[in-house]
Amino acid sequence: MERIQKHIALSGKELALGYFHQKAKKEILSNLDFTLFSGELTCLLGPNGVGKSTLIKAILGQIHPCKGSIQLDQRSITDYSIEELAKRIAVVLTDPVFPGNMTVGQLVALGRTPHTGWSGKLNPADRDVVEKALSDTKITYLRDERLSEISDGQRQKAMIARALAQDGQVMILDEPTAHLDLVNRFEIMSLLRDIAHAQRKAILVVTHDLDIAIETADRFWLLNCGTPLISGKPEDLILSGQINQLLPNNTYRFSLSRGRMEAEEPDLNFKIEGPQELIFWVEKALIKAGIKNLDSTISVSHKPFLIRHQEKEFLSVEELVFFLKH
Amino acid sequence: MNPKNYLFPIAFLILGLSFLLNLSLGSVWIPFGEIVGGLVSGDWTKTSWEQIILNYRLPKALVAIFAGIGLSLSGLQMQTFFRNPLAGPFVLGISLGAGLGVAILMLAGSALGFALSGINSWAIATAGILGAGLVLSGVSLVAWRVKDSMTLLIVGLMFGSAVSAVVSVLSFFSGAEALKLYTVWSMGSLGALGWSQVSILGILIALGSLPVFLSIKSYNALLLGENYARSMGIRTGQMRWVMIVSTGILAGGITAFCGPIAFLGIAVPHLARMVWKSSDHRVLFPGSALIGAILLLLCDAVGQLPGLASTLPINAVTSLVGAPIVITLILRKNFSKDF
Repeated sequence: MERIQKHIALSGKELALGYFHQKAKKEILSNLDFTLFSGELTCLLGPNGVGKSTLIKAILGQIHPCKGSIQLDQRSITDYSIEELAKRIAVVLTDPVFPGNMTVGQLVALGRTPHTGWSGKLNPADRDVVEKALSDTKITYLRDERLSEISDGQRQKAMIARALAQDGQVMILDEPTAHLDLVNRFEIMSLLRDIAHAQRKAILVVTHDLDIAIETADRFWLLNCGTPLISGKPEDLILSGQINQLLPNNTYRFSLSRGRMEAEEPDLNFKIEGPQELIFWVEKALIKAGIKNLDSTISVSHKPFLIRHQEKEFLSVEELVFFLKH
Repeated sequence: MNPKNYLFPIAFLILGLSFLLNLSLGSVWIPFGEIVGGLVSGDWTKTSWEQIILNYRLPKALVAIFAGIGLSLSGLQMQTFFRNPLAGPFVLGISLGAGLGVAILMLAGSALGFALSGINSWAIATAGILGAGLVLSGVSLVAWRVKDSMTLLIVGLMFGSAVSAVVSVLSFFSGAEALKLYTVWSMGSLGALGWSQVSILGILIALGSLPVFLSIKSYNALLLGENYARSMGIRTGQMRWVMIVSTGILAGGITAFCGPIAFLGIAVPHLARMVWKSSDHRVLFPGSALIGAILLLLCDAVGQLPGLASTLPINAVTSLVGAPIVITLILRKNFSKDF
C-alpha cells in the first residue's frame, strides 16, 4: 500500500491531562496519543464526562498537561504566547453570549482581532478576509443583520465565519450543531468539511451527532474512559466494530446494515412478507409496541398500502398495532 | 452616507448647549448674551457676574462634564467586562469605600473628639480617595485569587455591604452635627470645588480614561465573553486589572470630590447603545462620555430650581432621572437582546 504523506497540524504524545482539586491531582485523561491532519474534518466522539472539553482546553493552551505535550508546528502549545496561538487556532465554543446590537459583519470582523493594531481597525486586507469568510459560509446576505434578529442556525454559521476570519490553520468547534434542526445540522457539518478540504484547514469538531458525523467526517476520534483514543476513518471503525466502543453496555449496537445505533434486537417470532423497505418500518413499529410473538404471518403491500393479518386488512400501521394490542 | 455619522456632531452640539444652559441657571439671573460675551471677550458688565461665572458656575459645569464622562466610562467598562447589564461603576464597592473614608473623617472624628472645623474639601477628597483605594485593594487581593469574573462581582458586592455596615456603626456613635455633615456629603455636590480641585479631578479623569481608550480592541473582543476573548489573543487577566485600575481612578476620584452620584454609570451606557445602536466600543466609549457629560449638566441644571437660592443635591436628581431610565430599560422587551 502506498503511504500518503499528510500534513500534521497538531499532535499529542503520551498526554496526561487533569486538574488540581484541593491540591490533589485528578487525572482525567492519560496516555493520549493523537494526530490532527490538515485538510480533514475530524470528529471527536465520546460519552459525556469523558474529558472532551478538557482535551480542547489543553489544545487551546488553557490548561497545562500533567505529562506529555501537544505539538503545533514542531513546538509545544505551552511555548506559544496567547497572541501567537490566536493566530493559529480559532474556536467556536458552546458559550451562548451574544451582544444583540452587533451585526453579523461586525461579529465576523472581530475574528481579525489577533491580526489588527491597538484600535482593532481593519485594513483592506482584513476586510477581504472577512468578506471571504462570509461568502465561504454563505452568509454574505446576513452581513448587516443584527445577531438578535437571526436564527440559531444562522448565528452558528456567523460564529464559524468569525473563526474562519481568524485565519488559523486549526479550527476547533465544541458541539456546533447542538440545538439546531436537522437541516441546519447537516448544512453546518457539510460546510465544515468543504472548508477543511478547500482551504486545507484542520478542523476538529466535538459532536454527539453520530449520524451526521458518519455522513460528513473524514476521520473519527473515539474517546472512552480507560481506553486509548481510537483514530480512523469512520467507515473503517464501523467495519471493524470499534465504533461500538462508544457504547459501553450491550443494550445498543451499531447496525452495519442500517448504518446507525440501534437497540439490541430482541428475539422476534413473527414473519412479515412484502417489499424490504415496508417490512423494515412495520417491524420497527411492532418492536416499539413490545410485540415479539405472532402465530400467523403479516403481509404488506405497496400501492395502495395495505397490511393483511389473520384475514383482516389494515390501512395503516397504527390500525395494525391497535388490533394486535387489544 | 450613514446617518450615524451625524450623531456625533449633534451630540457635541447638545453638549455645548447644555453647557451654556447650565452656566446661565442659578440663583442670580445673568443675561445669556452677557455670559457668552464675557467668556469670549473677558469683559463683564458687573464684577459680581464675573465672580459668579468664573469662580462658581464654570468650575461646577466642568466638574459636571468630568464626572459625567468618568462615571459613564467606568459603567461601560464594568458592563462589558462582567457581561452584565446591571453592572455599574460602584459594583466593586468603590463609592462605599470612598464613603467609608469620608465617614471615618467626619463621624469617627466627632466620636473620638476631633474638631469638625478642620474638615475642608481637600481633607474630604483625600479621605475619599484613601477609602476607595482601601476597598479597591481588598477587592484586588481577591481578584488575584479568583478566576472567574462572576465571583469578583459577588465579592465586590460583599465588600460593599461590609463597608456600609462599618459606616452604619460609625453613624450610630457619632454626634448630630457630624451626622448631618456626612449625610449632606452622601447626597453629592458638584459645586463645592475650587479651581485647584477641578484641575486635579480633570487630571484624574484623563489618567483613568487613558487605559480605556488603549484597550478598545480588547473590550470589543470581551463582548463575546472571556473565553472567546482569550481565544482571540486577549489577555483577560490583564484586562481585569485595566478595568479595576481605571474604574478605581475614575469612580473613586469623582466620589471623593463630589460624593456618590448614583445611576449615571449604569444608565448612560444603555442610552449610548440605544442612540448609536452599536456595540462597538470605538463608538460606545466616546458616545457614553458625551451622553454622560450632557446628562449630568442637565441634571445639575434641573437641580438649580429657578428662582430659589438653594439647589437640590445632585445624587437625588440623578436618581430621579436615572431610576425611570433603568426601569424603562428593564420593561423594554428587547433590553437584554440589545445588550
